[in-house]
Amino acid sequence: MTKKKILVVDDEVGMTRMLKRNLEATGRYDVRTENEGAAAITAAREFQPDLVLLDVMMPEISGDEVAARIKEDKKLSNIPIVFLSAIVKKEETQPTGGNIGGFTFLAKPVKLDDLITCIENHLGK
Amino acid sequence: MDNGVNRPKNEDVHLQIPATGEERNWVDRWREPRGSRAVLLSLLILALIAGVGMLVRATGGTGFAWLHLMYLPIILAAAGFGIYGGVAAALVAGFVLGPYMPMDAAKGLSQTMSNWMFRTVFFLLVGAFSGLISKYLNEQIDRLKETHQHLLQAHEELKSAQMQLIQTAKLESIGRLAAGVAHEVKNPLAVIQLGVDYLTRTTKDTGDRDSIETIQEMADAVRRADVVVKGLLDFSRSEQLGLASLDLNSVIEESLLLVRHELTRNHISLEKHLAGQLPQVMMDRNKIKQVFINVFMNAIQAMGNNGTLSVKTFISQPSGSEAAGQSPAGEKVVVLVEDTGTGIPEDKLDKLFDPFFTTKPVGTGTGLGLSVSRNIIELHRATIKIANRKGVRGAAVSIAFPIPNRG
Repeated sequence: MTKKKILVVDDEVGMTRMLKRNLEATGRYDVRTENEGAAAITAAREFQPDLVLLDVMMPEISGDEVAARIKEDKKLSNIPIVFLSAIVKKEETQPTGGNIGGFTFLAKPVKLDDLITCIENHLGK
Repeated sequence: MDNGVNRPKNEDVHLQIPATGEERNWVDRWREPRGSRAVLLSLLILALIAGVGMLVRATGGTGFAWLHLMYLPIILAAAGFGIYGGVAAALVAGFVLGPYMPMDAAKGLSQTMSNWMFRTVFFLLVGAFSGLISKYLNEQIDRLKETHQHLLQAHEELKSAQMQLIQTAKLESIGRLAAGVAHEVKNPLAVIQLGVDYLTRTTKDTGDRDSIETIQEMADAVRRADVVVKGLLDFSRSEQLGLASLDLNSVIEESLLLVRHELTRNHISLEKHLAGQLPQVMMDRNKIKQVFINVFMNAIQAMGNNGTLSVKTFISQPSGSEAAGQSPAGEKVVVLVEDTGTGIPEDKLDKLFDPFFTTKPVGTGTGLGLSVSRNIIELHRATIKIANRKGVRGAAVSIAFPIPNRG
């Protein structure tokens, strides 16, 4: 079974490192991490991920702008994007991802099981 | 957490105006006296008139300067009883002095009578004039007192408005701070959560009980920290409402459903007395549910492992409205939540709504629940009050919602 490619973008290095370690430990994902918006857009074009896990509040280019640029790019526009954000509460999203304005949101701190369920829901589509 | 440290008491910044209320000073007590005071003052005036009369007699008649002392009781009578008092005292004084008028043999009785009349009229003029001045002064005193009362009332209103402003500004700044802190704490918390998840998976099959337990405790700590952060976010976001016309009883039922497990777990019985046919109230369903859950959970935690939670709803009439035959404009829909718990120490009652104030053990409460609840309640233009129950154990929380115009 080929591993699914996931691009993880968060300005906090510890967060991307931890997500990569956890997701790769499942043996199902190939994870690339980026810690700022511009690099994330470039990485998306090079890496062609199956899903992007994206932080919202980042310096310089914010998560929603990264998402907009990915959606503008015809080669990337079908890639599902899941926002991982500290600005929403769990109650405002479903535990495994809630839809806010057309995007899936997961509230930090997220449990690994919820995260994987959310990723699988999107990849299974 | 003691949030009173280094904080100036609000009372310190207020201008102190002495409250008069029903207090009366000596001027008030002797102004227009009634009953025993009136009798006492009358006797004093008569005694003074008699005294001056005797003095005049002893010193050789009205030709002497002692005569002028007679103005004292006349002015006193005018001050105490007004114009009539002054005139009456003047007449008495004139009568008393009559026998002591010096007889001028050359000019005869008529001249003496005329002198006497002249003095009496003079007394009358002084009495009447003093009475008029006294009346004018009394009116001025009354007007000043009225102004003073208005000033006191305005001062009280200003003080209350100032308190509200201070409270609002305090809550706003805490709200901003809370949102910032919540965001900053959530990120590292997310890293820890994922780290804990990772370690949980990797240690699961090692059989290392100490490590597994340690990681479990870490997971629990993350969960508790997340609850605090959630409280901070609630606090900073309580200002946005989505209002709808709703049945309060159904919102209460929904909220009770969410704490049902806690009630059962803690062997707490539930007594519901929800009034039928309650008028609908404008409210944000989720936010009011949040308030009810908070109030119910506080009650459950105060009762520990046994007790009765009572929830009543009813319509309250504004006091005196029935008698006055007023329209039901001041009617409110009230929820009364009572527990049989430990109650609240009297010295803590006024701090209950302060942010970060908690009576719960460290780590079990954020101290934001009631603060958030009050914010939400005030946004609904409703009121929340907490008191200890009278005569029985436990606390009572009442929340009163205004009824929208039914016309």
